[in-house]
Amino acid sequence: MSARFVWPANSSQARAYKSVGWALLLIGLVLFAFAYADTAQITVLDNGYALSLPRASKAVAFMIAILGLQVVVGYTGQLVLGQSFFFGSGAYIGAYMVADQNWPWLLSLVVVVPACFVIGCILGLPALRIRGLYLALVTLGMAATFPAIVQLDQLDEYTGGAAGKSVSSDLVPPSWLPLDGIASILQNIPFFGQYFGEGDLTSSESERIWKFFLFVFLLAVCMWLVSNLIKSRPGRALRAIRDNETSAAVSGVHLAKDKTMSFGLASALGGVGGVVYVAELGIASPLDFTQLLAINFIVGLVVGGVGTLSGAVIGGIVIAFVPDWSASTEDFPGIPERWLAGPTGVLILGALLIILTFVLPGGVVAGVRRIRARIVQIVPVPPEGATPPPPSEGEDAVLRREAEEISAGAAANDPLTEEPHA
Amino acid sequence: MTDATNEPAPAAEVGTATKTIGDTLLDVKGLQGGYGQIQVLHGFDFTVAEGEVVVILGANGAGKTTTLRALSGMIDASGSVTLEGEELIGKNAADIVRMGVAHVPQGRGTLPELSVEDYLLVGAYVRKDKEVAADMERWFEVYPVLHERRNQRAGSLSGGEQQMLAVARALMSRPRLLLLDEPSLGLAPLIVQDLFERFHHINEETGTTMLVVEQNAQLALSIADRGYVLESGTISIEGPADQLMHDDAIRKAYLGV
Amino acid sequence: MELFLARLFDAISNGSTYALIALALVIIYKATTLINFAQGEMAMFGSFIVLVLATEQGLPIWIAVILGMLLSAVAAAGIERVLIRPFDPYDHLPLVIVTLGLFLSLTALAGIIWRFDPRAFPRMYPAGTAVTIGGVNLSWYTVGVLATVLIVAGLVTVLLNTTKVGLAFRAVSSNLESSELAGIRVGPTLQFGWALAAAVGTLGACVFVADPIRQLEPTVMVRVLIFAASAAAIGGLDSLWGAVVGGLIIGGVQSLLVPYTFIPNEMSLAAAVVVLMLVLLFRPSGLFGTARVERV
Repeated sequence: MSARFVWPANSSQARAYKSVGWALLLIGLVLFAFAYADTAQITVLDNGYALSLPRASKAVAFMIAILGLQVVVGYTGQLVLGQSFFFGSGAYIGAYMVADQNWPWLLSLVVVVPACFVIGCILGLPALRIRGLYLALVTLGMAATFPAIVQLDQLDEYTGGAAGKSVSSDLVPPSWLPLDGIASILQNIPFFGQYFGEGDLTSSESERIWKFFLFVFLLAVCMWLVSNLIKSRPGRALRAIRDNETSAAVSGVHLAKDKTMSFGLASALGGVGGVVYVAELGIASPLDFTQLLAINFIVGLVVGGVGTLSGAVIGGIVIAFVPDWSASTEDFPGIPERWLAGPTGVLILGALLIILTFVLPGGVVAGVRRIRARIVQIVPVPPEGATPPPPSEGEDAVLRREAEEISAGAAANDPLTEEPHA
Repeated sequence: MTDATNEPAPAAEVGTATKTIGDTLLDVKGLQGGYGQIQVLHGFDFTVAEGEVVVILGANGAGKTTTLRALSGMIDASGSVTLEGEELIGKNAADIVRMGVAHVPQGRGTLPELSVEDYLLVGAYVRKDKEVAADMERWFEVYPVLHERRNQRAGSLSGGEQQMLAVARALMSRPRLLLLDEPSLGLAPLIVQDLFERFHHINEETGTTMLVVEQNAQLALSIADRGYVLESGTISIEGPADQLMHDDAIRKAYLGV
Repeated sequence: MELFLARLFDAISNGSTYALIALALVIIYKATTLINFAQGEMAMFGSFIVLVLATEQGLPIWIAVILGMLLSAVAAAGIERVLIRPFDPYDHLPLVIVTLGLFLSLTALAGIIWRFDPRAFPRMYPAGTAVTIGGVNLSWYTVGVLATVLIVAGLVTVLLNTTKVGLAFRAVSSNLESSELAGIRVGPTLQFGWALAAAVGTLGACVFVADPIRQLEPTVMVRVLIFAASAAAIGGLDSLWGAVVGGLIIGGVQSLLVPYTFIPNEMSLAAAVVVLMLVLLFRPSGLFGTARVERV
């Protein structure tokens, strides 16, 4: 079915559409950050739901981790259930570097990224021989052992044992940033200004805003890197591995190197997410990084949409807010209070996972794209001299062309259709 | 492919004189089917009479295997396929087996971990009578290798033995119609020769109706009554087996003459 | 020597429990080549049902266990029909996701219904010592669990090898398409597999918490699942007796290897995972599993 607007990729309309999209996103983020700089509550049906920057920052941390999963699960097709291991590693390493070694946060990434990358590559080596579900099992085991590892007596001085490692985040916004200026502009918006508070920002509020944008910037950098990877030759190799490993190997894809690299990259991203998490939360404690978190990451991956970049964003939001908001729901018509006191968030996540697999296997992103495709479609431009392909009708067109090729090939092979030699 | 300089071997005695061919057992009209969006069969008709051996020939990709899969219910198909009047289209595979159709798939479809004996029991799964053990004994007599290895893994048999085992499995259900998909695939010429002799023998002795899909045209036609040639999803040539055997186009294409 | 025997008996009792859950995993794997990550939670849920039957309904414990096993079997048949069968059996990713979703849902549901305070589970085996060997007491519990797993493994083997439905199960495990062509109804056969696995799993969970030092609460089976899955994989995911051997090996890793190599006790799960990785590296199909050949 054709969209209402179909634009070639290099047309001015397509470019305008994309620019406007990004601009709106940026403005939206700014509005959000300044509106929720202090803890705000939305009240629905007598329940107070917290919506705040710290929670949003937590979501950003999850988004980066899920982005890592996109690389290894979505694009390389290996089912890995151990992302919480690297998330936790990044958190602890980051906390240690900042608290004990007095490094600035961003610099700690210089240690975390290679460390997690290398650990990921090493732990990914067995993955070369371990297939499919075995790999899922082993990585789940890894995730389950993380709390025990950080609580080892020998590591106590680094990890703080069961109490965790606390660290004060001293991410102070630079003085040249006109945060107060932006705040007062927003406060003067007629009618909506009241949502942006009054007067200048307190130091904690401006710190929160600064941290939030730092984290979002970090997320954007990671997404940009991954998106470039996908379009490049190594990225295509990864997808070839996902689709059929044996064929990929036969076609010259260097399986071991590429698979290990994808593991390393996913782990590195997990570590970065962990650093963001502990920078926001201020403490890394062992029970935050159990296999439950690992499964939550998978929930985020699937709900958002496997194999998509924006899916990581949606997934992060879902797993950061659903458990939280479910716990805040103490009163819901029709459901006994006793039930609401239990882990309803987990139940919702589990049910979501099952329902989405049936109804929307491509995740929320797939659903949104389908709706958007009815309104606007940007068609890639064929290279000079090539005939443009027929308007995309989706999978059917691809299959039909394949079928025609098969029939044509069969006819070519059929001895009965060969011309008799003179 | 046979050596281009040889004359095709004289057709084996099909023995129409000693064999009774009954009424139409399988009646196929307008068969269409494929895999999802890829349609492979583009609507054709054919029949198989009771007691007949009918062969379907064709190149790779012509749709021969797909035809059998449509008949046995492994893929969705449309059109009309009736077995003595009962419609097969729309029924699932398990029901079609119970109606009397047994399909030996391409590559034999062995259940490698099962013992030979268990494998034959699987063949008789849909039967509720008490003669299963007797049938099995008969197979052991006819094909002693199966008896020797009755407790060994089916996967340990040679290719030719597995093919015979697969056919025995299919016949254990006492089908009205036996579908054979490229039984010669991957087997040495001498073994294939032996195999086809046995098929012919089974057809003569028990009167089991057979629909055989084959690339090895010569052997297949030598035991068949009639044949069809499938090309890109429709039938291009049809006729009695010895007529096809001497048809110029087929001889050039399949017999290398 | 005494310490060794005490640890050995621990290994046997833990290992037998892991073997039971591993059996359940193997049954489903044989039929579907799927690892049911929700097996532990299904078993936990079943054991809660047993607890309710035994305490609130006052049934004798073994009657409650048998009833609980039956109920689990029925529920699992329903789960297979509704949540598993709609999917293409050859496409693993959606199915694994569904089992993960089940994992979360069942844990949460148990937490909502029964809360998280640990509860005592009735004894299933007589208290006290069966026999004293080398100065160490061998409890009835250890003897009982070992006997249970051996009997169950034996019964399942007999069931699969002598009954018609067992034949259908083995055929479906071997080659799905050929089984269909022989007239076997694959769906109900798989349902049977899920039901059988669930019953065995519930028994395993009950046996686990029937140990007087343990208590039942919704997260109790999470670690056990990983131990049991490792056991199943080490033994070979499609081998029933491999599961039993694997379970005992994992029990040995936990209670013998770890203490004797001075690995801290909390790292026993890590040790099991490492052993699993090592076994898979050298024998990808486990000790007794059949290798699967992949065609391009």
